Amino acid sequence: MKVLRITIPVLLLFTVLFTSCSDDDVPEAENEEEVINQITLTFTPSEGTEVVTATYYDPDGEGTEKPTQDDIVLKANTEYTLTMSLKNTVGDENEDITEEIKEESDAHMFFFGFTEGLFSDPQGTGNIGAGNRDDKDINYEDKDVNSLPLGLTTTWTTAEAKSGNFRIILKHQPNLKSESTTTEDGQSDVDLNWKIEIK
Amino acid sequence: MKKLGLIFIFSLLFSVVYSQKKDCSLDCSCSFDGVITDAQTGEPLAYASVQVKGTEKGALTNEKGYFILEKLCSQEFDILVSYVGYKSVVHHHDLFHKHMNVQLAEDDMILESVVVEGDKQQSGLSTAAENKISKQELDLVKNESLGDVLTNITGVSTMKTGANIVKPVIHGLYGNRILIINNGIRHEGQTWGSDHAPEIDVSQADNVTVVKGASAVKYGPDAMGGVVILNPPKMELLTGHLHGEAGVEAGSNGRSLNGNLLLQEGYKKWAWMAQLSGRQQGDMKTPDYYLTNTGARELSYMAGTRYHHKNIDLQLSYSHIGQELGVLRGSVVGSLEDLALAMQSEKPAYTNSDFSYDINNPRQEVQHDVVTAKGEYNFSNSMLKFEYGFQANRRKEFDVRRSNNNELPSIDLELFTHTLDLEWLHPEINGWDGSIGGQWLYQDNNNVPGTNTVQFVPNYNNSRFGLYITESKPLDHFTLEVGVRYDYQQANVRGRENDNGIYRQDLTYNSVTGLIGISKELGQYGHFRTSIGSAWRPPNVAELYSYGKHENEVEYGFWRWEIKSAGAVGSSRDVADQDSKPIDNETSFKWLATYNYKTSKHDLEITPYVNYMGNYIYTRPGGIVSTVRGPFPYFLYDQTNALFYGLDASYIHHHNKTFSSQVRGSYLYVKDVSSDAYFVGITSNKVGYKLNFEKSILGFDNVNASIEGNYIFKQYNAPKVISPTEIIEGEEAGTPVIENSNDRFDFAPAPDGYFLLDAQVNVTMGKLILGLRGKNLLNTSYRDYTNSMRYYADEPGLNVLFSAKYKF
Repeated sequence: MKVLRITIPVLLLFTVLFTSCSDDDVPEAENEEEVINQITLTFTPSEGTEVVTATYYDPDGEGTEKPTQDDIVLKANTEYTLTMSLKNTVGDENEDITEEIKEESDAHMFFFGFTEGLFSDPQGTGNIGAGNRDDKDINYEDKDVNSLPLGLTTTWTTAEAKSGNFRIILKHQPNLKSESTTTEDGQSDVDLNWKIEIK
Repeated sequence: MKKLGLIFIFSLLFSVVYSQKKDCSLDCSCSFDGVITDAQTGEPLAYASVQVKGTEKGALTNEKGYFILEKLCSQEFDILVSYVGYKSVVHHHDLFHKHMNVQLAEDDMILESVVVEGDKQQSGLSTAAENKISKQELDLVKNESLGDVLTNITGVSTMKTGANIVKPVIHGLYGNRILIINNGIRHEGQTWGSDHAPEIDVSQADNVTVVKGASAVKYGPDAMGGVVILNPPKMELLTGHLHGEAGVEAGSNGRSLNGNLLLQEGYKKWAWMAQLSGRQQGDMKTPDYYLTNTGARELSYMAGTRYHHKNIDLQLSYSHIGQELGVLRGSVVGSLEDLALAMQSEKPAYTNSDFSYDINNPRQEVQHDVVTAKGEYNFSNSMLKFEYGFQANRRKEFDVRRSNNNELPSIDLELFTHTLDLEWLHPEINGWDGSIGGQWLYQDNNNVPGTNTVQFVPNYNNSRFGLYITESKPLDHFTLEVGVRYDYQQANVRGRENDNGIYRQDLTYNSVTGLIGISKELGQYGHFRTSIGSAWRPPNVAELYSYGKHENEVEYGFWRWEIKSAGAVGSSRDVADQDSKPIDNETSFKWLATYNYKTSKHDLEITPYVNYMGNYIYTRPGGIVSTVRGPFPYFLYDQTNALFYGLDASYIHHHNKTFSSQVRGSYLYVKDVSSDAYFVGITSNKVGYKLNFEKSILGFDNVNASIEGNYIFKQYNAPKVISPTEIIEGEEAGTPVIENSNDRFDFAPAPDGYFLLDAQVNVTMGKLILGLRGKNLLNTSYRDYTNSMRYYADEPGLNVLFSAKYKF
């Protein structure tokens, strides 16, 4: 029974092996760079100091808790520069996604849509939708490495008092972004509708 | 539990030691018998010769192909079976396998002569229905995925993510609900993902068996729908010289190239084998456009050695498989509006007008390594078996992400699994024949840091211990089989919540599994088997801990959602546990019967089955969540009771020695019996016809050709459709179209039924076999209900494949 003389120690070895190696490691904390849960719009008037901000905030990111979203309230007949800040602030996170978008400006573009008559410049309803890409429709103030518009900074001149909707779409268009790509190309990283009032 | 295990081992070993060993070297009282048949027709061969090598002893078969060798002075010997006009076969025989069946192939056939030992089935269960894909059938399709290969068995279908990621589905169940035994070891990977195909290279297998009947008693948790058993080439002793096979296959669609090499040699006491195979494939093409980023690369190798001495048989092997699989670029969507656009457009976004071998994101990189050590100790009337396996499964998944994160995997997991199986096939006691066994499993699952996203599944360590006994006894009119099993599992889970908070849990599960079945010969040609058995599995990590967006859906695991006020449900901030939100094991009771009628002219098989799944885990709509990307429907993992029933049927008619026809079909009906609703993604019904030709013509040794047509029906038993556009419009109007309910829906209707025509021809010239086959010969445009790419793109069109194989 030579076999058994070998088998028993081998079996004992396995029993020890199976019960002894239970490590207790927690997955390492990761910088969550996929989630965007906070977007702040900053409207700075060209004259005067009354800066307007409006924030979208989703407290639990990927969870079902309802987000909060400020309405945008602007003065009539005023020129504003709009800048945007995108962040992940779920839990203790404080990840600035704006920087990532700047770094990859050639693969991102903001598109805007709004109720007609809200602005005297730009006029119309914006550049959202198929075949609706005319960069003159939006006053882009920043460019990517290929001199195509990005949209983190834009200017807007309000018209007379009116209320309506203001929609912002951020498209991720890797290896796709061109002079003619629209909101129908690539994936949406952001698609938010804001209530806006011009007083 | 440790103590119990040791007691079990010792009692098992002692019973082995004390079981009597038969020694016939003194009185020459050993004997054995068998039957020799034609490998193709199954008809008995009379006057075939069986010779014990190195002795004068031998015998001829009678009219029924039966022979008996008596007065043998040794338990083991080498025998030579020969017959004029047929390929001879040398076999090392031991007396544990009392009854042997030698299937001789004619000299001019592709078939090889084989020895089938014992009348036991692959699963070791005598009442479980089994279907086998033989080496000859496998050779034709061995470069395809395991899932696609298995569809050659009636009742087996696929769950796909494009053409390369294919999961096998048995009787409507897949993933954690079926079990794959590869080279004797439970295959363990990240099976929770519907886009995680088993990391198995079919070209490393010699034959594949699907056990459709209840067999969880033998195999343990997960064997609910069925078990897939893959066996590598058997390392035969006394091969005489180096044997091998070298083959290449090139395909027009995807411009694929496959290469395989197998070498093996057996000596008096030991044998070895080595195998290598590789695959390169680019973008597949539908009849109208390229499926951009659907390429695949695969490299696999395997080496094994076997030592045999008297009662001992030992095998050691190592295998590796590495895959890089592209996923259709156009399947990536950010918002519901993106999904609506993708579904409306004729061809997917990002479709290139040119072919490419490039594989970009989204893609998967998978590595699977296995070391196995197996041993058998033969007594004259019993056998002890052990199998140890170590598996390392590494999976990286790359998504389309922002900036530098594109180079980082968003899922990066390592799963290490040790398994140890012991089985004792005991001597017959009062007519009871069977086996007692024990199984251990230890797993360590780790997230590899550096994904820049919170882990989708937690780290865990998992130990499992199972004991079983299965017994069968021939009674007056039938053979009765009974079995019982106990499993105990303990897991320690550590994960991260979305705000990087830590959760830790200890989970224990245990269950008793049972089986009862009968097997009966009906007349000279008929055989009837039926069994009813239970099976179970614990919930997997994705079902418990998922949180957030995955592909185009937002999902919350069972412990990540809660009932809020007024019946509304939502994600929970803290992870629930077994105390606060108990979850039961998923259980299955499967009844299956199979009737087989086989003569030289007819081969009929009918298999009805019913599977009642208790605490069946599935996802149902929970409502609509507002996200920064707009509204999304979200889904909750929940439990219900489901009924699966169906029928597999196959009939082969041999018109003459040259032509045969096969008709086959499978039917499946699945319903949620608790809430009277259908599930999304249930296998469609299918019927098919195949005409086969085999003859030595035009001066070739053999010409084998077949043409096959299959019709796959539309799935009518599907939930209602709510399109992404309807959801968006409902949100805008303030009237949500999805609420917390059992009312399931799909984004798009089930695709229409379709007809596919395939054909192949294989020509044998001595040791060379040339093959030509065509898939989707009519270049049909179609979409398949169980392919998640059906929202975005058509299935591949015509594919013509040429192969050359040299056997030596």
